[in-house]
Amino acid sequence: MRPRHPRDPYWMMLPTAALLAVFFFYPLLFAAYTSLFRWDLLTDPVFVGLANYRVLLESGELGHAFLTTLSFSVVVVAGSMSLGLVLALALNRPGKFPAFVRGAIFSAYVVSWVSVALLWLWVLDPSAGVASNAVRALGGPAVDWLGDPDIALYTLAFVTIWKIAGYSMVLFTAGLQDVPKSLIEAAALDGASSLERFKNVTWPLLRPTTAFVGTTSLILSFQVFDVVRVMTQGGPVRSTTVFVYAIYEQVFMNLRVGRASAEVVVFFLLLLGLTLLQLSTWRGKAKARA
Amino acid sequence: MGCEASDPGRGRSRASLWFTYGGRNREVLEKLVARFNTSQSEHYIEAVYQGDYYEGLAKLRTAIFAKAAPTFSHVVGEVIPYLARAGVLEPMDDYPGYDDFDLVPELGQEKSWVGGDAQPLVALPFNRSTPIAYFNGDLLQREGISPPRTWDELRAVARRLTRSTPPARFGFGCPISWWFWVALVGQAGGQVVEADGRLSLGGAAGVEALRFWQTLVREDRTMRPPPGRDYNAWEQTNQDFLAGRTAMIWTSTAFLKYLEDNAPFRVLAAPLPAHRRHAVPTGGTHWVILKDAPPEQKASAWAFLRFMHEDEQAIFWATSTGYMPVTRRAIRWLEREGYYAKHPNDRVAVDQLSVAQPWPWSTDLFRIDREIVQPRLEAAVLSGSDAQTLMDQARVEAARSE
Repeated sequence: MRPRHPRDPYWMMLPTAALLAVFFFYPLLFAAYTSLFRWDLLTDPVFVGLANYRVLLESGELGHAFLTTLSFSVVVVAGSMSLGLVLALALNRPGKFPAFVRGAIFSAYVVSWVSVALLWLWVLDPSAGVASNAVRALGGPAVDWLGDPDIALYTLAFVTIWKIAGYSMVLFTAGLQDVPKSLIEAAALDGASSLERFKNVTWPLLRPTTAFVGTTSLILSFQVFDVVRVMTQGGPVRSTTVFVYAIYEQVFMNLRVGRASAEVVVFFLLLLGLTLLQLSTWRGKAKARA
Repeated sequence: MGCEASDPGRGRSRASLWFTYGGRNREVLEKLVARFNTSQSEHYIEAVYQGDYYEGLAKLRTAIFAKAAPTFSHVVGEVIPYLARAGVLEPMDDYPGYDDFDLVPELGQEKSWVGGDAQPLVALPFNRSTPIAYFNGDLLQREGISPPRTWDELRAVARRLTRSTPPARFGFGCPISWWFWVALVGQAGGQVVEADGRLSLGGAAGVEALRFWQTLVREDRTMRPPPGRDYNAWEQTNQDFLAGRTAMIWTSTAFLKYLEDNAPFRVLAAPLPAHRRHAVPTGGTHWVILKDAPPEQKASAWAFLRFMHEDEQAIFWATSTGYMPVTRRAIRWLEREGYYAKHPNDRVAVDQLSVAQPWPWSTDLFRIDREIVQPRLEAAVLSGSDAQTLMDQARVEAARSE
């Protein structure tokens, strides 16, 4: 379809472009600019060049935030995707009961992050929480789920998986329902076992769903903030100071706008890199198929 | 008509107050604000809750930048020098009636900071506290134990009160927080900033303070490190105490009435023990008026602050919360009327003022606390890293910090 006037498409794009410009590009450029200053919002900014980046690198804060976020994301993406897939496979059947269970599992996804975090704080309380009591009743050791620096991050990852597994389950269920029954039946007639049918028919056909769930979970997990803010405040010993929380802490707790902006820029580049990588993989695959 | 009914401040000069605590203390403050609003018809105070101290400070600073700040607020002492240097606080030296306040010097700007009296008056004491020790009084009586007076006694008492069989109980609890570390440094004979302004972080005393915690948590296993940071850790400490999971805790005098009201046992308060000497920092917040507020709003805020420093309000605030009365007149009145004889717990913090140590007037101290010291306190206690190495690193980093 050709536009009546060559300028028409641009007019139509204008509202979205304006929104993006005001709420995305301008803040990003402003962050890039302020990252070159030492500034606390109250006193005049002092130009320091790339010093904020240097301090963040030298103090190890960037590396630490990156590794913490990455460890968290790997666990969350792998955990929520595999759990979602298993649940989808188990519950992809007609009937009221499976539908009820699907609904129950998905309900966690729509509850607010803060409520989920508060609920789990209560469950995980080392002395009086349900989880600790259960472990103790089974004769296990007392575990300080949120107070032990070696465990806290994975506890948060577990809570996140619990919350978002329903999301990947729903997407995988949709993906499973798109798999033509005839193909599965044909494979069954050819004598393929259920494992072989999954491996050679279902799984390859689920690939677009998997890629989509993977990308969105990855982005979601990279942006984790609420559970950290409510459950651990980045501690103990900074073991749960993920990227977004580190930015929050710099700007709101330490009153360092410049350093926070530098972290924003690095975080943006990181996400941009991830997205580009993902896009190129997708396009490569699409080309291969064509 | 409906508008008039829902707007009791109509026709008066209004000032907005941002405050930063919830629970019981919030209720008491709101009562006092309501009392002020009905006591006269010229001024009207709108009090708005803004989360905990740090959240409130973050909002305040952002609001100042966005030109949407309230008329006045209250902020932790550590950031006052920083805000004063940024030029956002209203000097109150020339406001009428200040001389009549009869402030307790250790709680006012004069002695809360080294050289506080040499600075323009920008801070008035509001909810002022010191750390004190709280005990499960019933348990203490049953075991025939009296509150420890030294670190060694504390260690022994904590050991005696710890129980590993269910229901398990820790002998001692205390948030792993800069404020309590500063108390320990003082007790070990050091100070965070030396008289010449050099940031020593207590030198050997700083290390000793940290090692004391490490011993209790990692060696004796008589102290429970609470999870979370900032005020979550404080809240957890209170909850553990109330539920009988900790027998003795160190926390702010601010929680005195809350703990007394909610504990299913008798709460006993005592001064912190000494090591080489007795020492405590003061804490809590100070009133500040924002410089950019319109003059009539500042006048209303000042009228409210004068009201708060009158005997009746100063006494009501202190006896309803556990914070210290900020005027000498109020303390004398409570003494004279036999309040302290009847409520000895309320006296502990006031008596401790004789060993209170002033903070340095440092614009960077809150950053040194948050960025450099606090993470290392957690590292030492929770991961068991070497206290000496950590404090050496902290000093190097603090010297580099800008």
